[in-house]
Amino acid sequence: MSGLEEFKDELETCFGTSCGFCEKGCPVYQSMKVKTLCMKGRNRTMLGLIQGKFEITPAVVQAAFECTLCGNCDRWCSLKNTEHTRAFREYLLKHGVEPIKEHASIATSIRNYGNPWFQPRSARNRWSKGLNIPKAAPGQQEVLFFAGCTSAVTKNLNRSLAASAKLLQKAGVKFGTMGQDEPCCGSTLQRVGQTEAFEELEKENIKKFKALGIKKIVTACPGCYTTLKKSVEKAGAGIEVTHIAQEIAQQVKDGNLKLKKSSERVTYHDPCHLGRLGGVFEEPRVIVSAVANLVEMPNNRYESRCCGAGAGLQSAFPKLSHDLAAKRVAEAKATGATTIVTCCPFCETQLRTVPGVKVADLLEFLLDASELNDRNNSQKGRAN
Amino acid sequence: MSYTDELVTALGKEKVLLDPSEKFVYGADWSPRTPDEFVPPDVVVLPRTTRDVQRIVKIAYAHDVPVTAGGGLTGMLGGAVAIYGGIYIDTTTMNSVVEIDHKNQTIRVQAGATLQEVNDAVQPYDLWLPHQPESKWVSTVGSAIACDNDSTFGVRYGKILNCLLSAEIVTGTGEIVELGHRKAHFTSSGYKLKDLLAGSEGTLGVITEATLKLEPIPASRIVDMLVFPRMGAAVDYLSRLLKAGLCIEAAHINCKRRLRFYTHSYKQKYGKDPEIPAWAEALLAIAFAGDKEVVETQRGYALRIAKEFEAQLVEEREIVDAWWASKYTLEFEPFKQKWPDSQKQKKFGAADPGVPVGRLEEFYHKFVEVAEKHQLEIIGMNAYLEHPNSIGFSLSCAVFVDYRSPDEVRRFREFHDELSKLAVAFEGTMSTFMSDTYQKAPYLELEHGTSLKYMKEVKRIFDPKGIMNPGKKFPREAGKR
Repeated sequence: MSGLEEFKDELETCFGTSCGFCEKGCPVYQSMKVKTLCMKGRNRTMLGLIQGKFEITPAVVQAAFECTLCGNCDRWCSLKNTEHTRAFREYLLKHGVEPIKEHASIATSIRNYGNPWFQPRSARNRWSKGLNIPKAAPGQQEVLFFAGCTSAVTKNLNRSLAASAKLLQKAGVKFGTMGQDEPCCGSTLQRVGQTEAFEELEKENIKKFKALGIKKIVTACPGCYTTLKKSVEKAGAGIEVTHIAQEIAQQVKDGNLKLKKSSERVTYHDPCHLGRLGGVFEEPRVIVSAVANLVEMPNNRYESRCCGAGAGLQSAFPKLSHDLAAKRVAEAKATGATTIVTCCPFCETQLRTVPGVKVADLLEFLLDASELNDRNNSQKGRAN
Repeated sequence: MSYTDELVTALGKEKVLLDPSEKFVYGADWSPRTPDEFVPPDVVVLPRTTRDVQRIVKIAYAHDVPVTAGGGLTGMLGGAVAIYGGIYIDTTTMNSVVEIDHKNQTIRVQAGATLQEVNDAVQPYDLWLPHQPESKWVSTVGSAIACDNDSTFGVRYGKILNCLLSAEIVTGTGEIVELGHRKAHFTSSGYKLKDLLAGSEGTLGVITEATLKLEPIPASRIVDMLVFPRMGAAVDYLSRLLKAGLCIEAAHINCKRRLRFYTHSYKQKYGKDPEIPAWAEALLAIAFAGDKEVVETQRGYALRIAKEFEAQLVEEREIVDAWWASKYTLEFEPFKQKWPDSQKQKKFGAADPGVPVGRLEEFYHKFVEVAEKHQLEIIGMNAYLEHPNSIGFSLSCAVFVDYRSPDEVRRFREFHDELSKLAVAFEGTMSTFMSDTYQKAPYLELEHGTSLKYMKEVKRIFDPKGIMNPGKKFPREAGKR
């Protein structure tokens, strides 16, 4: 039975219900208003396909891939809609559909470079220069800081990783990194339906983590967070996976970081993978609230709207993807916030494509506030 | 040139869907049907403006092609399913707000706006559209008018027709006509043609814009539930409250069985159905809304009178909250929305008759009898007041339907027809919120007798070729495709 056939009962339940409650929060549907692109329509397309009512056509492929897998439809439903969509993509690839060219290159790059962005492995060393972070070695570290491909190999995102590492250091956490040996978690592969390649990579990754003997992985990227969490759980590897926001929020709560709160109005954008799909909502808010005046967008937490970058949409459907970002930024601006804080490299990059509001990484934002406080204290000390 | 080519020329390629997979998606609504009973249209069009709709209908008129317009496709009896194929107009692409006149408490919107989108737009003015079916997130203004569906707050505000001041339609010849009285809240001038639109099911034309009357958002609301030994006692109680001059916002009588369907979140939380006294046969959910002091006074008075009717207040708030979540707020736990979760094995199916108030209890027993005869699992009856400040019910006589079984779907349809006909025999009506569709079309004369002839004449004026949603209300004329 193919992955899609496994969901036949669920597809029929969606057909039997047909409530369409998934439409309300679907960023793609709300932008396009074509029913084939909301989950109810997509479920019907899958059902028709396995019933043999029609063949695979470009419209079917579009229905499968024009989705960010943001999970908003799942919030309003008891069916595993994002899983259906992932299986739908896998089904199409297994039935002879060529991967969208932008998605095909992801697999090639991961195979050849260990990241989806055709960057040399050595690019992963760049962000940690001068930070004195030990390279993880078997039995030497319990905590592994997992930088993730996108932030590690993209120069203007390096600062967020450095901020995360500095904050961990300030809080006295002992950790290591894998440097240029850090693998890709495979999140993107999985979400564009390249399941076999993903599962192969997943196995390799678990072997590497086990060989290092680590007890905990702290990820910087929400996509890595949900993917690795599932991978280690599936393998029964006995490794805890957390996101950096969870680690640092605890340090903030414990008073391990000296911070000063400003009156700046700041809004927080929940990355889909960390929030709705990962269940981490409050910790980033603890951090923002510790240093600024947090104002919420109407769609927050479970109802947060996707920035449009996810699941290969940004690469394959750039215009739609940008429209979604513009909508999210408009929502943020309407709150009167001067800054959108988020903690996902995809969201950060995506939201920055829309002018008119500052976009900051959560950990950079916190580190800046903490350093500002340090400077102020030392100046006060000198003045005294 | 084929009519589909003409559509592409007139609208542009991106507004015309011709792929079999795309058409398939638009081939079913919420009504009980087997998974292979999709009825895809021949082409789906996505208009943005009234002019687009006009172009579409003119092409259809020239080629004698059926036109079916739809919104959220949440109809429960196939009203917007294009049973004769042809053109399906997805009106949800027309969802812009044209004007909000907050002093006049009106909004002008394109007909594809959902009821929720209307409320999102007017909420900053402290106004709301009180026509609120459970499908409000998806149900559009146009489809609410065309289907004349139900509203949770009918006893205070009525249904969509009570909110409708004016509507623009494109008739079956492609003419754009405004029906109604602009922004005036009422009129004594002319014939009230806009009233024809309520429940018209798109058979007279495509509704493209509407002007709706809004109401101030009440500052507070209290919902209660009372149990009664008999359904008739709940009816008498409601009559008494109205006589007393209370302003009830919502009133719904559930039979004992029906409560379970509405308390999904209670069951999720506690792992069991809510317990109500063994003697109770009917449950009345009742809401008061307005300024806190007024609400409390009215509620206190209502509860005091309740004792005269052997009623007992449901003290367990979780039961009331679960019911209200299901009926109005739709605030369920994330990933556990009631609708699909309660429909995994069998789905909800209903008949929607209306009977004289004094015969409600008698009809309830008939409903149970008919459902049992057709071997259908009973969900129960819900009777809700839908006329402002007066007694008079919409009845939802609901059963579970195993939609994967063609035999059970057939039995459901027989059950629906039998109850509809029975309602006429009770001197009532066959439909109070789902309209007639193709389901009741073959026996509509039972209810309307010779007046059906006049209805057909009205239809002919608006739609001389009979292309607008053919097969709905009246069987399609012989000789047509």
